[in-house]
Amino acid sequence: MSMPRLSITLATTALAASMALSSSVALAADGPLRGNIRVVIGSSSTGGDTYQNSAIVVDQLSEALDLNMKVDAVGVSAAYRALDRDPRGNTLMIFHDQAYLGHQYGVEGYKDPFENYIIGPTIAINPGNAYLVPKDSPYQSLDDIIEAVGSGETVRVAIQPGGVSEIGYTALKNAIRIEHPGSEENLVAVNTGSQADKNQLLFDDQADLINGSVQANEQYTRLPEDDQKAMRFVWLTARHDTLQQAHEEGLGQTDRETLLQFVEPNVEVTMGDAGNFAFDKEFFFLYNKDMNPEIVEQIDATLAEIYAEGEIQETQKQSFFIPDFMPSDEAQAHLREKADRYAEIIDSIKP
Amino acid sequence: MEILSYLDITFFLLASIGTLIGIIFGAIPGMTATMAVAVCLPLTYALGLEHGLALLLGLYVGGISGGMVPAVLLNIPGTPSSITTTFDGYPMAQKGLGEMALRVCVVSSLVGGLISAMVLFFFAPLLAEFSIKFSYVEKFLIILLALTVIASMSSNMLIGIFSGVIGIWLSLIGTYSLSDGGNGKTRLMFDALEPYLVDGFSLLPVLIGIFGISTILLEAEKGVKSGLSGAKLDMGKGGGFSLGLFKGRLTNLTRSSFIGTFVGMLPGVGGSAASVLAYTQEKNLSRDSSEMGKGAPQGLIASESANNALTGGALIPLLSLGIPGDSTTAVLIGAFTLQGIQVGPLFIPENQDTWTVMMIALVFANVVMFFLMFYAIKYIARVVLVPKYILYPIIVMMCVVGAYAINYGIMFDVWTLLIFGIFGYLIEKIGLEVAPLIIGFILGSSAEVYFVKSLESFGTYSIFFTKSPIAVVLWLLIAASIGFSIVLGLKSRARQKMELSQVTGSTQQGDRHDG
Amino acid sequence: METSPLSVSIDFDSSHLFFPTIIHWALALLFALVVVFRLVPFLAAVKRGEKTLPIIGECMDGVRFFGTLVLIVGYFALMSVVGNLFPYTGYGFLFVSIVFLFLMSMMYMHTRTRRKVITAAINAVVAPSLAWLIFAKLFYITLP
Repeated sequence: MSMPRLSITLATTALAASMALSSSVALAADGPLRGNIRVVIGSSSTGGDTYQNSAIVVDQLSEALDLNMKVDAVGVSAAYRALDRDPRGNTLMIFHDQAYLGHQYGVEGYKDPFENYIIGPTIAINPGNAYLVPKDSPYQSLDDIIEAVGSGETVRVAIQPGGVSEIGYTALKNAIRIEHPGSEENLVAVNTGSQADKNQLLFDDQADLINGSVQANEQYTRLPEDDQKAMRFVWLTARHDTLQQAHEEGLGQTDRETLLQFVEPNVEVTMGDAGNFAFDKEFFFLYNKDMNPEIVEQIDATLAEIYAEGEIQETQKQSFFIPDFMPSDEAQAHLREKADRYAEIIDSIKP
Repeated sequence: MEILSYLDITFFLLASIGTLIGIIFGAIPGMTATMAVAVCLPLTYALGLEHGLALLLGLYVGGISGGMVPAVLLNIPGTPSSITTTFDGYPMAQKGLGEMALRVCVVSSLVGGLISAMVLFFFAPLLAEFSIKFSYVEKFLIILLALTVIASMSSNMLIGIFSGVIGIWLSLIGTYSLSDGGNGKTRLMFDALEPYLVDGFSLLPVLIGIFGISTILLEAEKGVKSGLSGAKLDMGKGGGFSLGLFKGRLTNLTRSSFIGTFVGMLPGVGGSAASVLAYTQEKNLSRDSSEMGKGAPQGLIASESANNALTGGALIPLLSLGIPGDSTTAVLIGAFTLQGIQVGPLFIPENQDTWTVMMIALVFANVVMFFLMFYAIKYIARVVLVPKYILYPIIVMMCVVGAYAINYGIMFDVWTLLIFGIFGYLIEKIGLEVAPLIIGFILGSSAEVYFVKSLESFGTYSIFFTKSPIAVVLWLLIAASIGFSIVLGLKSRARQKMELSQVTGSTQQGDRHDG
Repeated sequence: METSPLSVSIDFDSSHLFFPTIIHWALALLFALVVVFRLVPFLAAVKRGEKTLPIIGECMDGVRFFGTLVLIVGYFALMSVVGNLFPYTGYGFLFVSIVFLFLMSMMYMHTRTRRKVITAAINAVVAPSLAWLIFAKLFYITLP
C-alpha cells in the first residue's frame, strides 16, 4: 500500500477507531468475541514470516481486546478444518496470498477463499519475495534472462510449485510469451521444496535462477564471487512503493537503496496492456463463512485503533515487514481484484 | 571483552533452568525437545537474544537427553531419536538394571554432546562447505544406508525387511508434499479420510502409539499384573554402575559421536537416523555384538552418544547456511528471526559475540545436564515402582497431551495414537518387527523425495552410481553394511541351531520376540 | 539425453505415484516370500498342533483388554466434545481426563482396597490438574 493510500485508510477508519477508543475495556466485555481465541495459520513453521506477522498482530489484538489469544502453526489443511468447524468466532485464521493462488493453481485442498470464507482485514506485506542467480552467472539482470530465453537459451528456475513461489515464474514466462512469442517454452520450472533445496540446486548447477527471499538469501549475496555459495539478486517482486516504505537500513547489511534496484520499474516484467507485473505478499485474516458479522466489525475496529496508535507499524518495519492495514470490505475488494489479475496470467500460460 | 557482559548469573541460571525443563519434557512420554523449544520460544522475545539462546539451547540439550528416561524405563522413546535406546535399555531395566543403564546413557550423552560442540566450534564453516556437496543423490544414498540397518537389526531378515517396507508404505500416505517439492497430490487413502490424512500420519503420535499405547494394550490383555516382576531393582550403590563399563568402548563412543554430528549436519536426512546409524555401525563393527538388543551397555553408548551429538551437528547448517538440520533447530531459527537476526553463511563472522555465547551455553548445558541427571537418576529410576494402575492411565494422558500438542493442536493426531496403538498390538501378535517398521516410517518420505528428485533432475538410474566420489563411497558403505548383516545373520542362525540342538523345543516363540 | 536401459523420465503431474508404485511391487514380492517361507510353515505347524494362532488361539483378559479400548475411545471422543463446549480453555481435556484416569485405575486394580481406591482418586484429580496447569496455563499449549 502506498503512503498516501495508507494515510487515507487510516483517516477513514479514524472515526470508527475513535468510537472504539472511547472504552476499549467495555469493548471486550460487551463485544461479540468471547472466551479464548485461537488464531490458526496456514504455515506449520514457527520460524516463518506468517507466524512472525501473526504473532505481532495477535499480541496487540489480544491486549486491546483483553482476551486470551494464541497463534497456532497448524498448516493449511488443518487450519481450514479448524476454521470450518467453528462459526462462533473462537477460531480465526491468518494466511497470505497463497490462499487464493493455491486455488488458482489447482492445488489439492485449496478451496476458493472468496467463496468459502469471509476475507478479513489485511495486516502487513512481506516485500522480500526474490529471484536470484549465482554470483558468477552470465545473466546480469532479469532483462538478460528474458532476452536469452527469447533467443532460444534454456533457463531453469527453481521454485516451489503451486503458489507464492511460482507466481513470479508464471509472470516471467508470460512476459516472455508476450515479447518473444513461442520461446516461453525455454523457461523451465525445476519443482522443489524448501529454501535449502532451492539453494542446493543452484550450488549443484541444476538451476540457473531460483526463487528465494531477501530474509533468507541476503547473506549469500554478500559472499565473495569465488565462493560456490555466492548469489546475486536479479528481481524482487514487490511493488516499488511498497519497498519504499521499508526502513532505510534495509535488511542485514543491504540497504533499501540497493534493494530498490531490483524492483519495478527498474526491472520490467510486462503483463501486456495491464502494465508491469508486481507482487506483494500480503497477510490477512480469514473467517468462518457463518461467523457473526459483528465480530468482523469488532476486529476491524480494534485493528484500526491499534494501527492508529502507530506503534505496531514500528514493530513490523523492524522485522522488515510493511504495515498494510485495510478493514475487511476494503481488503476483500483489493484481494479480489488482485486475484483476478493473477488468474489472467496463470491462465494465459496454461498449455 | 563485550562478551562478558552477557555472561552474568542470569545467563547461567537460564541455561540451567532450560536444561532442567528440557529434561522433564524429554522424560515425559509424548513430549519432545522440539516441543520444549517451541513453547518457550515466545519467552525469548522478552529475554533478548543471548539470554534467550541460553534458555533454548538448554532446552534442546536437556530435551534430547531426557528422552532416554522413558526409553529405558518404559520402553517408550521420549523423543524420536531415542528409539535405539529402547533396544538395550528396556531389557536392562527389566533385569533390574535400569539405574545402571541410565547412568551409561548419561555419560554417553555428555561425551556425545561435548564432542559435537567441539566439532561445531572448530569446523562449522568447513563442514558446511562439505555438506553442500550432498545433493539429492547423496542424500538418498545416506538414507539408503540408514535403511540397510533394518537388515542387521531384525531378528529375522525377511520379516525385518518386510516390516521396514510396510513402514515406508505408511509414511507415503497423504500428499506428496508441496513443501518437499512434490506435486501436492494425495495417494494411498480413501476419499472419506482425505480431510484428516492430507498431511499423512505424523511421526510422534505414530511413535508413541506404537510403543506406548500398544504396550498398554498388551499388558491389559495379560490382565495388568501388579508391580515390577520380582522387584529385583538394584537400588543404591549407583545401581552397579562404574566407569569400567566404558572400558574398551572408547572407539564406539567416539565413532558414534562423530556419526551423530555428521548426520545431524545434513539437512533433510532426519535426526533419528543418527542414533540408528550409530547403533548399527556398532553392531556391525564391534568384536562381539551378540548381546546387542538383549541389554548390552554398548548399544546404549552408541545410541545416546549419537543422539546428543546431534545437537551440535544440527546447529552447523543452521549457523553457517541458515538451514536447520533437524526439527528442533527448525523451531530454534524462530528465536533469531524474532530478534531480527538473519542466520546464513555470514552469521558466524558477523556475530562473533553471539556465536561465542552460544558455544558457552551449549557446553554449559551439557555439563548441567550431566550433573542434574546423574544424581537424579536414583530417584527417576523408581518410576518403575509406581503401581501400573496409577502409571498407565498417566502415560495415556501424557501421550494425549504430546500427540495433540506436537502440531499445535490437531485432534486427528490423538486418534493416530489409538490407530497405531492397535496396529502395534497386531504387529506384535502376528510376528512383524516394530523397530524396522518405525525406521522405515521415519525415513520413508525423505527417501521418496530424494529418489524421485534425483531421477527428475538427471533422468537416469545410473546417476546414483556416477554422480560423485561421495556417492561411490556411500555405495561401498551400503555394500559393507549389507555384507555385515548377512554375516551376522548366518552367525546367529548357526548359534541358534547349536542352542536348538542342546535345548530342544524351548525356542517356540523364538520367531516372535524382538527388542 | 541419451537413451539407455537405465534412463527414466518422470511426469511431474503423476510423480506422486512413482515411488509408491515401486514400494507396492516390493511389498508384493516380500509378501509372497513371507507367505512361502513363514506363513505356510507356520500354518502347517498350527495344523499339527505345535503352535497356536495369534490372538484367537491365545488366552486373554478380555474384560481389561476391551475395557481399555472402550475407555480410550470414549476418552478421545468425549474430550473433543466437551472441549468444544468451552473453546480453547483445555477444560475438555481436564474434566474428561479426571474421569478417564479414575475409571482406568479402577479397572486395572486387582483388589480394590479402600486405600488403593483413594490413592487412585487423588491421582485422577491431581495428575490432570497439574498437567493442565503446567501446559495450558504456564506454557500456553492449546489443549482440547
